[in-house]
Amino acid sequence: MPWSNQGGGPWGSGGSKGPWGQGPQSSGPTPPDLEELLRRSQDKLKSVLPGGNLGGRGVLLIVVAALLVWGFSGFFKVEPDELGAVLRFGKYTRDAQPGLNYHLPYPIETVLTPKVTRVNRIDIGMRLIEDPRRTSQQIRDIPEESLMLTGDENIVDIDVSVFWQVKVGGAKDYLFNIQNPEGTVKAVAESAMREVVGRSDIQPILTGARQSIETSVHELMQKVLDTYQAGVQVTQVQMQKVDPPAQVIESFREVQAARADLVRLQNEAETYANQKVPEAKGQASKILQDAEAYKSQTVAEATGQASRFGKVYEEYKKAPQVTRQRIYLETMERVFGGTDKIILDSGSSTQGGNNSGVVPILPLNEMVRRPATGGTQ
Amino acid sequence: MKLGIAGGVLAVLAVIAAIVGYSSLFTVYQTRLALVVRLGQPVKIVTEPGLNFKLPLIDSVIYVDKRILDLENAAAEVIASDQKRLVVDAFARYRINNALLFYQSVGTVDAANSRLSTLLNAALRRVLGEATLTHVVRDDRSALMARVREQVDREAAAFGITVVDVRIRRADLPAENSQAVFERMKSERKREATEFRAQGSQRAQEIRARADRDITVIIADAQSKGDTMRGEGEAERNRIFAEAFGKDPDFFAFYRSMQAYESGLRHSDTRMVLKPDSDFFRYFADPAGRPREDAKK
Repeated sequence: MPWSNQGGGPWGSGGSKGPWGQGPQSSGPTPPDLEELLRRSQDKLKSVLPGGNLGGRGVLLIVVAALLVWGFSGFFKVEPDELGAVLRFGKYTRDAQPGLNYHLPYPIETVLTPKVTRVNRIDIGMRLIEDPRRTSQQIRDIPEESLMLTGDENIVDIDVSVFWQVKVGGAKDYLFNIQNPEGTVKAVAESAMREVVGRSDIQPILTGARQSIETSVHELMQKVLDTYQAGVQVTQVQMQKVDPPAQVIESFREVQAARADLVRLQNEAETYANQKVPEAKGQASKILQDAEAYKSQTVAEATGQASRFGKVYEEYKKAPQVTRQRIYLETMERVFGGTDKIILDSGSSTQGGNNSGVVPILPLNEMVRRPATGGTQ
Repeated sequence: MKLGIAGGVLAVLAVIAAIVGYSSLFTVYQTRLALVVRLGQPVKIVTEPGLNFKLPLIDSVIYVDKRILDLENAAAEVIASDQKRLVVDAFARYRINNALLFYQSVGTVDAANSRLSTLLNAALRRVLGEATLTHVVRDDRSALMARVREQVDREAAAFGITVVDVRIRRADLPAENSQAVFERMKSERKREATEFRAQGSQRAQEIRARADRDITVIIADAQSKGDTMRGEGEAERNRIFAEAFGKDPDFFAFYRSMQAYESGLRHSDTRMVLKPDSDFFRYFADPAGRPREDAKK
């Protein structure tokens, strides 16, 4: 029969996945095989009875000693982070608090001591590898767990850690209601993570929505685990890494670079504007100043000339004829003083005019040319 | 010796009694149900944990787990209704609710797992095959999971099993489709990057153009103001001159002519051909200085 091999311990073969079935933390004393015990006591009886040397008292002594040892085997210790659950003939009867406790010896009562206060950690998408040579931990990526499909059919690479512990008052559920609490937490975490990520587009996942995703996953996981009555409390969901997949991360960086380029180009243009516009303003101000100067100069000159004329006129008014003559002569003096002159007499004044018919030849061309060449001398 | 024989018999009896006693008792653990089978015939189901009795040697006990059990399904490829392929990795959690039926139909948890796995795969194909990929991934995941659960649950009832939950652990694209998605993501990002750069140069050009425009306007404005100002200056000059010279236009003409002669004819490159009968030479020949008739002409 397929279950005939289940006789070993109460949870012998079925319990390999159970919380108490494996590892050094397995709780409660390992019960010795019953048949082995029986055989041993038979051997003892056989060896004692035929000799009969010890007599009835001896037998009694052995029995009492055996009873004492059996009775004392009921003491057990519950560590501070544990909670004891005592089972009488397999039925859960009471809790045992941390410290020294007693249960009726096997096979009447047994005890389980799950670690109820320890916070367990489950990583999805990566594993921490303890490196004994270094104190640091190394992270190994597991792409088949971490690559997820987003709602807009992109792929995103997410590593997440889930922290959980046995629910307060949920030890009974944790122990007796679910076959594989740890595996269930992990499966539910993966499923919840993908469900939540699947509902969102890639851009918010990569940028801002970390917090809200963590919250949604946390709530969804707790809800599912509560429907299983798993006795598990999810304490925290922590997203460790949210990246585009390695295959496309370069392109995402390129977008970042392009974004930076945008800002750079804009800044450069603004630098240009900030330099050129004030320069133009300076130039404008120079133009205005120049015009202002010209205006002032023009007005000042005009005023000066007008005033000079005014003065001369005042004098002139006093003696117009003389002053006019004087000015004329003085001017002519200055004019003629600086020029070459040729004076042609028109002949005798009595003959009247220059109608004498005699015209002197003047080599005007030469005369004009001469000072031109002379000017260079 | 007599005592020895009697003791021996007693011991043998005690051992037999112990064996019979032991085999007429059985314990049902907190996590299990017990099915008592008398010579192959199921007689009772014990659901309460604790110590129980049975007939020794004749009755045998079959234990059935009553916890929520795991079913981890291997990833299976499913074709969605829009012909897109998905690798779906689902798991189920179930409970044995009818130990007798379970024992009679499948017997062991391992056998149940393999039967359930088949049912689960079929239900997944059926349900997801009617939905599009978008529905599976984004819109309807939980509703689809609930439908798969219902279908598997209905079929698994024949094994005395209740399916507590079915959840899709992963629903991803097959590797070759993932590659296509990566390529698409790359091209999308490339487009985005190009757009950003183009936007950058557009904005830069806008800023430069505006600056250039501002500069032109500023200079033109200044020039306009400047010209106006110069004009004002000139107008002012004209006014001043008009005011000053208007007192005696005749004298002004004379005076200004004198100035003009002086500045116009002063240089040594001027060559004059003069007649001595001009007014300047009035006294040249005649100390009386009467103006000559010819010169007056």
